[in-house]
Amino acid sequence: MTSAGLDELLRHPSLWRASSAGNAPGTLPTGFRRLDERLPGGGWPLDTLIELLLPAHGVGEINLLVPVLRALGQQGAGPRRWIAWLCPPHLPYAPALASAGLDPATMLVVQPRARSLLGTTPSSKSTPPSSDPTLWAMEQALRSRACAAALGWVDAADGHALRRLKLAAEEGGSLGFLFRPLHRADEPSPATLRLSLEPRGRMLDVQVLKCQGGRPGRVEAVLGERMADGG
Amino acid sequence: MADRGLPASDMPSSTPDLFDLTPVPAGRAAGLSLVPSVPANASQRASRELWLCLWLPCLPLDALPGEDLSRQEPACVVEGDGSRQVVVAVNDAALRRGVTPGLGLNAALALWPDLRLHPRQPAAEAALLERLARWGTQFTPRVSLEPPQALLAEVRGSLGLFGGIGSLRQRALRELRGRGLRAIATAAPTPRAALWLARAGIEDPVESVDALPALAARLPLACLGWPPAAMRTLVTLGVRTVADLARLPRDGFARRFGPALLDELDEGFGRRPQPRPRAVMPERFDGSLELPVESESTRLVEIALERLLGDLQVFLHARSAGTGGLVVEFRHRARPATRLRLGLARPSGDARHLLALLRERLARTRLPAPVASLRLRSTTVMPLELRAGALPGEEARDADPEAAARLLERLRARLGGDAVFSVCLVPEHRPEFAWRVAEPSLEKKREKGTLPLSVEAVATEAPATSITEKGGAPFRPLWMLAEPQPLMDCGGLPCHGGQPLRLAGGPERIETGWWDGRDVRRDYYVATDRGGVRLWVYRQRDRGGGWWLHGVFG
Repeated sequence: MTSAGLDELLRHPSLWRASSAGNAPGTLPTGFRRLDERLPGGGWPLDTLIELLLPAHGVGEINLLVPVLRALGQQGAGPRRWIAWLCPPHLPYAPALASAGLDPATMLVVQPRARSLLGTTPSSKSTPPSSDPTLWAMEQALRSRACAAALGWVDAADGHALRRLKLAAEEGGSLGFLFRPLHRADEPSPATLRLSLEPRGRMLDVQVLKCQGGRPGRVEAVLGERMADGG
Repeated sequence: MADRGLPASDMPSSTPDLFDLTPVPAGRAAGLSLVPSVPANASQRASRELWLCLWLPCLPLDALPGEDLSRQEPACVVEGDGSRQVVVAVNDAALRRGVTPGLGLNAALALWPDLRLHPRQPAAEAALLERLARWGTQFTPRVSLEPPQALLAEVRGSLGLFGGIGSLRQRALRELRGRGLRAIATAAPTPRAALWLARAGIEDPVESVDALPALAARLPLACLGWPPAAMRTLVTLGVRTVADLARLPRDGFARRFGPALLDELDEGFGRRPQPRPRAVMPERFDGSLELPVESESTRLVEIALERLLGDLQVFLHARSAGTGGLVVEFRHRARPATRLRLGLARPSGDARHLLALLRERLARTRLPAPVASLRLRSTTVMPLELRAGALPGEEARDADPEAAARLLERLRARLGGDAVFSVCLVPEHRPEFAWRVAEPSLEKKREKGTLPLSVEAVATEAPATSITEKGGAPFRPLWMLAEPQPLMDCGGLPCHGGQPLRLAGGPERIETGWWDGRDVRRDYYVATDRGGVRLWVYRQRDRGGGWWLHGVFG
């Protein structure tokens, strides 16, 4: 066999080579062209922790993640992994998930305690962050290898707890999205990527606060005319 | 006799009686000697069977409940009644003061008047031996009990797995030590020889039948465990070791002591097979353990639980099975037992995982009184599914039902059963009834279609009209409020957080459900607040009207 033929054979997509095992986990496109252009690797980093800072619940954060959740659901050849929702401010609505292309049966909702409705996230200062059941449950979900992604809504969390989450995501081969209020932007965080979501009229701008391997900056109108992006 | 010219060695073997101590000469058929002679070219060919013997000299003491704490004082277990009481087991402290097993009670008390005496508890000893038999099944399924104090296990087939008889023996001893048991472990090609070696304290494993006769000189007569009358006679004949028996003729020996002892010798040296009954294992696990002291401390209870779970793991591992659930009973002295039931999403036999689950449950359970003992039972035991391991690089992207079940159990053990759920679609046009809570599925089958249920099909079934976007699917928010929330009405517009909302889309009229009394007549709108949050609101068209918040687009 000629060496050209061998090279061609080795490039076959179904061929797995031991030398490629140690490579970085790579990225998945966000589904939004402007954001992809800004992020290193052209998309969400995989197997790590991503932090999203929000001025309020419902500015478009789930719509921002729908393409990547859909892509994660289509990975692999075997049975699908779960997408865990940890302490979401409201219930994920199955008909909307289905019309966004997400299989409701792969959702795993974890509600450690009753949360008040829209906008008012109860401060978890009464309990130390290390024993916060949401952080604990998110770490379990990320580490378990049973979840493709874990979405957690958390207010107070110290750097130690966040580092644990990042390690759990790396170990479990899972993608962690942490939603925190905007006023936590000043606190240091070990997350690989930190974004702040800023609604502007009918648009959603994304401010990249921290980005390993890239530079901070602003991406305007990631979700332009959010109505048309579907819900 | 001499004139017949027959040499003495050619005399028929049936003539001499027992007291004719003419040794059986070399060169005779081996069957004629009680003890086979040492073969000249002893091949070290490994035997087909290898029996591990675990001899527990202190078993009567170790079986006593709560004995752990009194190791510092001299203590012993005595048997018999009246003046014929005999010491059967002693602890280290007593041994240092000269009290040895076999001593009469009075002699022992003369040596150490403060000796603590415990009556022998045969039932506890039998229970401990049974538990050890279950533990032994982790090495081999062929485990046999030798009451009162020994365990025999045929391990030839397991040597490859455990890395040879040496490391298997070390591992068995280490695990026994972990349970606070002292043991002598040895191995021999026949079960009876293994027992002899263990009683004689010879711990080097013997792997070949041909090597046994050479050891006979090191085996004292006592290690045979023969009846005292036979022993006394043999001692008067000058027999001190098993090798000395070689001087006795077979048939005379059989006449004098009966065929049973002869058979024992033949079994020991591998001339006669000795079938051993296998220890019978129950179908379900049921183990209990007494705590050394009554305790309310979770730490102590957990240690006891860990030990029972270790037994359970071995029990399940031996049959490649998992249990579907557990029942733990915490028994108190004067109260009914506290019972904890644990159901598993998937059969498991992993002690660490089960302990983690029970620990979570235990942290949420209040024990009403100190715990005196624990009982652990398995519910249905079922075979575990064997799964092929994934290639490196592939494992992360496919769901592992085992991992999923573990996650589910761990979350539920800590947060409660109804805190963890999945959702599914319901063919229904009223938004709040179009979904329901579902049990998370462990086997998420990949389906060809993107949707488990076609939304279009729902729309045609339900007797309602709706505006739809994007090719027929109704436009719905990703988040739903558990209950619609009333909104203030500011001049015909809904208000949220003190600010009037801007209506951006709609209305979508939903008017249905008249048949079950929970009918809805609503006009739904997409509304935006000042902060850019898009809400799903509706105006009630009957029952007093008013604006309500029902969902968030997110």
